[in-house]
Amino acid sequence: MENTFKPETILGYIPNVLRAFPVTMEILLLSLMISLILGAFVTVAGIGKKKWLREIANGYIAFMRGIPTLVLIFLIYLGLPQLAKGVGIDLSEISKNAFIIACLSLSTSANMAEMMRSSYLAVDKGQKEAAYSVGMKEFTAFYRIVFPQALGIAIPAFGNNVIMLFKETSLAFAIGVIDLMGKARAVSSASYGANRLEVYIATGLIYWVICILLEYLSKITEKLYTKGRKKATS
Amino acid sequence: MDFKFMMDSFPKIILAVPITLFMAFVSAGVGWFLGIFIALVRKYHIPVLTQICGVFVSFMRGVPMVILLYISYYALPIILYDYGQSIGATFDVTAVPPVVYAIIALVLDQAAYSSEIFRSALMAVDEGQMEGAYSVGMTRTQALVRIIFPQALAIALPNLGGIFIGLIKGTSLAYYVGVYEITATANLLAMPALNFIEAYVLTTVLYEGISFVFNKLFRNFENRFQKFRAGSAV
Repeated sequence: MENTFKPETILGYIPNVLRAFPVTMEILLLSLMISLILGAFVTVAGIGKKKWLREIANGYIAFMRGIPTLVLIFLIYLGLPQLAKGVGIDLSEISKNAFIIACLSLSTSANMAEMMRSSYLAVDKGQKEAAYSVGMKEFTAFYRIVFPQALGIAIPAFGNNVIMLFKETSLAFAIGVIDLMGKARAVSSASYGANRLEVYIATGLIYWVICILLEYLSKITEKLYTKGRKKATS
Repeated sequence: MDFKFMMDSFPKIILAVPITLFMAFVSAGVGWFLGIFIALVRKYHIPVLTQICGVFVSFMRGVPMVILLYISYYALPIILYDYGQSIGATFDVTAVPPVVYAIIALVLDQAAYSSEIFRSALMAVDEGQMEGAYSVGMTRTQALVRIIFPQALAIALPNLGGIFIGLIKGTSLAYYVGVYEITATANLLAMPALNFIEAYVLTTVLYEGISFVFNKLFRNFENRFQKFRAGSAV
């Protein structure tokens, strides 16, 4: 064995790996949207009045937090089609991207639900009561008074969730999707692994820079949004 | 579903639980220790080290675990070999078990994440506590160990529980560097007859069980450490 590591070649691999960036972005954005919708449903169930709905919501969150995303991906991508076949449904037409988006949406929706619940509960109760007292209906009070304040509280956690989701999109390679990580593997196997360390470091740098950008974006959004607003947290 | 397969393979998958737990315990033990060190370095603004730690934490938080694992897996043999050459010995780098690479990546990851938790916990402890300790003649080390750490730990525990569960989930990625932990064992058992759904249902049950137990344990610790929380009567 000899040292074949060439640090000076690392930057040269970045443009090549970046060609898979749109795939990662597509997975990220679609999973983000679906997980927000799912998370909203779970939150509504979780803070509602019906006990059985609350228990389902809590159970769902606990389940998603206990299962590694990789196992969830294997369970759904490899396991679900077998189960579906047993009852006569053919899932082989569904693309790998759709599977990965489904898995990431499910696992992120639990975090999103937690975020929504805690931000909703962090808005002082008096705000809602005051809204009622001036004659607003429940929906109007939520939409015009509670939601805008909860949104401001949720921004940092939302930023964190997006960063976590972005990092988790790297698991798409596990089922053969050519995202950033999948592309890195393809590039390194094209050279029979001779440049694998350099390629993975280059890919790591890409993820790092994007995470820093996302973090910066989240800070700016929070600043802009909460500017001039009073905090009404309880 | 092939229930006979499930009955047969369950004991075999359980045999992999100790490896998963071993990785988690070692990584948390070493990683959190490093995390306290990084937190102290950044709290007391030790020149040069503070900047290095800042970049390290940012990098670790921005790069997905899979890539860290691959970098560790491909870089360490080179480092080890070069080091061996420089002291005139030849290490057989192929004899290093893969679990070592996985643990090193997980340790660094835990160090970064826990350092942020410890840092905010240290900041949350009232300044007056330190001054009080100085005023009765304690040295800085004594004050930190006897007065500040117990209180900071009480504040940090809920978040530490969170990253520990994340760590257990993260060990599933060690599969990609060839560690036969729970996920890899399940995959291996499922391959011959393509019993994916059965194998992954078992895996899910195991991870959920482990997460449940550790959630309970951390809840327990939190209650025990409650007496160190400011304002609580003993």
